[in-house]
Amino acid sequence: MDRLNNLPTLQIRPDAAISLMFEGKYYRGWEGDTVASLLYRNGIRVFGRSLKYHRPRGLYSLDGECSNTTLQIDGVPNVRAENTLARDGMSVKAQNVCGMLEFDMMGFMDKLSWAMPAGFYYEAFHKPARIWPKAIGIIRKAAGLGVLAPDFVMPGKYDEIFPNTDVCVLGGGPAGLFAALAAADAGMSVILLESRPALGGSFAYRAARYTGIPLYARAAELSAEVECNPLIRVFKHTSVLGTYHNGSVTAMQRGGKEDAFDERYIEIRAGSIVAATGCTERPLLFDNNERPGVMQAACAQRLARTWGVLPGKEAVFSIGHDYGIEVALDLADLGMKILCVADVREDGQDPELLAGLTERKIPFFRGWVASETKGWNSVSKVTLSTTGGFRHRQFDCDTLVASAGLTPVWGPLALGQAKMTYDLHTGFFLPKHLPDNMHPAGSILGILDPGSIEASGTLAGLRAAADCGADVSSAIESAKEKAASLPGPARGSKFVMAPVKGAKTFICFDEDTTVKNVSQALARGFDMPELIKRFTSAGTGPGQGGIPGHNLPLYVGITRDCPAEVKPTSIRAPLVPASIAAFAGSNHDMSKHTPLHEPQAATTGAVMERVGVWVRARRFSGDKLSRAEIENVRNNVGMLDASTLGKFRIHGPDALKVLQRVYVSDMSKVVQGRMRYTAMCNEDGCVIDDGVVTKIAENDYYLTASTVRAGVTAEWMRYHTRYDGWKYHIVNLTDAYGVINLAGPNARKVLEKIADTDVSNEAFPFSCYREFTIQGIPTRSMRLGFVGELSYEFHVPSSYTQALWKIIEEAGAEFGIRNFGLEAQSTLRLEKGHIILGSESEQRTTLHDVGLSFLWDRNKAEWKTVGAVALEQTEKQKGRLKLVGFKMEDKTTVPKDGSLVVDSRIRGYVCTARHGYGAGEPVGMALVEDELATHGSNFAIFEDNCEGRLLQARVVPMPFYDVEGSRMKM
Amino acid sequence: MSFTLTCPVCGKRNAYEFRFGGEDKGPRPEESGMTAASWCDYVHMNNCVAGVQKEWWCHKDGCGSWFTTSRDTRTNLETGTPQDTITSEVK
Repeated sequence: MDRLNNLPTLQIRPDAAISLMFEGKYYRGWEGDTVASLLYRNGIRVFGRSLKYHRPRGLYSLDGECSNTTLQIDGVPNVRAENTLARDGMSVKAQNVCGMLEFDMMGFMDKLSWAMPAGFYYEAFHKPARIWPKAIGIIRKAAGLGVLAPDFVMPGKYDEIFPNTDVCVLGGGPAGLFAALAAADAGMSVILLESRPALGGSFAYRAARYTGIPLYARAAELSAEVECNPLIRVFKHTSVLGTYHNGSVTAMQRGGKEDAFDERYIEIRAGSIVAATGCTERPLLFDNNERPGVMQAACAQRLARTWGVLPGKEAVFSIGHDYGIEVALDLADLGMKILCVADVREDGQDPELLAGLTERKIPFFRGWVASETKGWNSVSKVTLSTTGGFRHRQFDCDTLVASAGLTPVWGPLALGQAKMTYDLHTGFFLPKHLPDNMHPAGSILGILDPGSIEASGTLAGLRAAADCGADVSSAIESAKEKAASLPGPARGSKFVMAPVKGAKTFICFDEDTTVKNVSQALARGFDMPELIKRFTSAGTGPGQGGIPGHNLPLYVGITRDCPAEVKPTSIRAPLVPASIAAFAGSNHDMSKHTPLHEPQAATTGAVMERVGVWVRARRFSGDKLSRAEIENVRNNVGMLDASTLGKFRIHGPDALKVLQRVYVSDMSKVVQGRMRYTAMCNEDGCVIDDGVVTKIAENDYYLTASTVRAGVTAEWMRYHTRYDGWKYHIVNLTDAYGVINLAGPNARKVLEKIADTDVSNEAFPFSCYREFTIQGIPTRSMRLGFVGELSYEFHVPSSYTQALWKIIEEAGAEFGIRNFGLEAQSTLRLEKGHIILGSESEQRTTLHDVGLSFLWDRNKAEWKTVGAVALEQTEKQKGRLKLVGFKMEDKTTVPKDGSLVVDSRIRGYVCTARHGYGAGEPVGMALVEDELATHGSNFAIFEDNCEGRLLQARVVPMPFYDVEGSRMKM
Repeated sequence: MSFTLTCPVCGKRNAYEFRFGGEDKGPRPEESGMTAASWCDYVHMNNCVAGVQKEWWCHKDGCGSWFTTSRDTRTNLETGTPQDTITSEVK
């Protein structure tokens, strides 16, 4: 066993011990162990129970090709234990077990397989019809492996990146590494994706010698060269999910301990793709071919070489390719007792490997194959037969390494629409016509000689570089010559099935589909793999069809004697199971803060809330209606952070023309020193934004926009002037300026103390714009009336905003100045009948509907204002929803925002309603059909969950407070 | 949007970075004499060809310029070179 502890191929770190819990017990291992290898190391052989028959299942492929070893890890079901690195403290449970792993009470189902032929559930359980609902309930409960709790929340951190590259190499084995180096040498940027945690592919765990050194040493050299190449970006533990049109590749990366994510979605745009995804092994078909203890050759070798665990004590080998013999020799050297090697092939073996068997005195049987295993929960006996079935021998052993040969992993090529045909020499289904800019390399072409694999990688990498414009034609010629001089594709084994009836020969492990089931489907006329797949459910499980793989079409081909016509079933994305959480992308919250975020958040009682992308202050006390804040603004003075407002400068010789195009008012009337309130509409006349505009200088304007439109105002203006060839600049100043609103009858008293200029009502009247300094801070100031009191907005550079906030606080302290938040602001403006777009309007609401027709100047047709045509056409349109003010009959109830206005049908809805402290009773605005929109009309409101008790309201004129508007103008 | 577009300023970028601005319908039409139906047709009706169409895009997550390009709607591949917006903002 010492031989195993010091192997140079080990991926575990013996200095970093970890432990996890499995089925209630603790098991120890090391960093670098997968969950599967850790449990196997501790003697676990049964990892779960199969879907239908509850047969014991264990390690088979070690690459997650089937759901044998899917476990529930830390609450997440269906995690592939063979592909998941073990972490200290993990909590692991088996799935689909009724009772105990070692003794499953549903195991008797296995004896009833005769009663469950292919597709039996389509025909059984519905005579009489009333038993079907019960039966389907039982079947549904029994179906599936993992269990998801209804309130399950996916743990972990997820992220996404979208890198571009010249060449994308799929696969970090020898072919992929050579392809990446060749493309990088040609000056191309390369992204390389490898699904295992380490590079090296099939070389990484093999001791066979090439160029005088073991393959694993060659792998280590190549990997180091690739990882330090500045043009190659390597993603390990990253599986390809799919390939798409025009060089698009999607992949999923598993995060390590040091990564800031658990899973990361990667979407790559590449100029050209190299597919060097290698081969898996073709499962050998015989009776009880999936019993724990039966495993593929690479699984056996990797257990020993990568994780330092011998697969068992005594092994029988039943293989169909030279690699199988290589593994037998290697495991014998590592201390395992190899009882014999049976090869389905009569000839064609590598003579050196045969000599190795003789040297080690391992019996070798040509033309023999495993036909059956026996054992309770794992293998205890193996029966070998001649391929013709005439002679048999039995062996007592605990491990059977079984493999029919290799199967190329051509998923990415198949998704890229390559057509596959059967190649007689390799026994592979190979692509006939390759998609543009996609180049296969390595063992998926059937080549097994290490030199050939490397050369094919170089050639593919150069071809991909040429696709991206590299001048490598002579390099490609020499690479072609070199590849041609090396051994070509190896002859593959055509062997399909041992001489057995097939009732217990599993062609799909996930769905417990046997060869007998396939025969039953064929007998019913389902004669193509696609039909058989659906009728028997073979290949529909989490393994994504990898186990039936080539075996299904090959079996159908030899049964129907038409191998040329039969194809494997279609491969679809995702190529490996992928969690939806990773597709959902980043799950960390990002928001914007204003320059005044900290002082506000630090204020006692502050409630900060997400409003779109921003975090803003909703209120500053526990009172959700913010009464104190409202009354303070009405009677005293308050301060509000309005920094999220959109702010823009537009200047240039044609700046006014742009304003005329997008705003409904005649913008030539905008003069220096005065603010003009106006609105923008879309081509349907629907109001999309309102704001104020002032003239700073000749051909130079400053304008505001709603917070939600700040990001698109410049885009909108440029879009609607794109044919005109006008000369102007737009500067987005939204984040450059912070805005403080000082409002209330005492506002001027505060401002007088700090402004460096005369701010009397004569010097700075309502609706005007002034630039001055406040204790030296350059300030753009405007007097507007949104909340209906004497009110100033100060626009100052962001870096000065906090300072101005403090100055105002200190100056206002003697008056008891207080913050007010968005809730207070909303009620204050509601009492004045001022609209907020999105509350008092929706997508279909025109300028006329919200009562702002007066903003529209109909004598500016030469400017082709956006929305003007529609405004004219909808001016007298009937049946539209119109904005009205309303009060309640019952002055003690305030209807909820969004409640419906109803009589025999829906007639509109409540936009905003609050208790109006200025009016002394509830007030609101609603959009109601024009018939109801006259003063004095009554209407009824249906609140959610009111159970039929309607609230009565009547339409009244607006504003509800300070009808003359004198308080704003004082 | 899993295809690429070529911005005249920034070069080839993922389509995610752009906002679609509709088929190219030419400069704003003469407005007098428009009925509601004809105006609605102009604003909302599109040709929706299965083939190459000239259309407007804004590089919203990049330089912000509006430009036209010709794209084959069957393959999402651009044909030809993009044209910078005719309204050249003074750069």
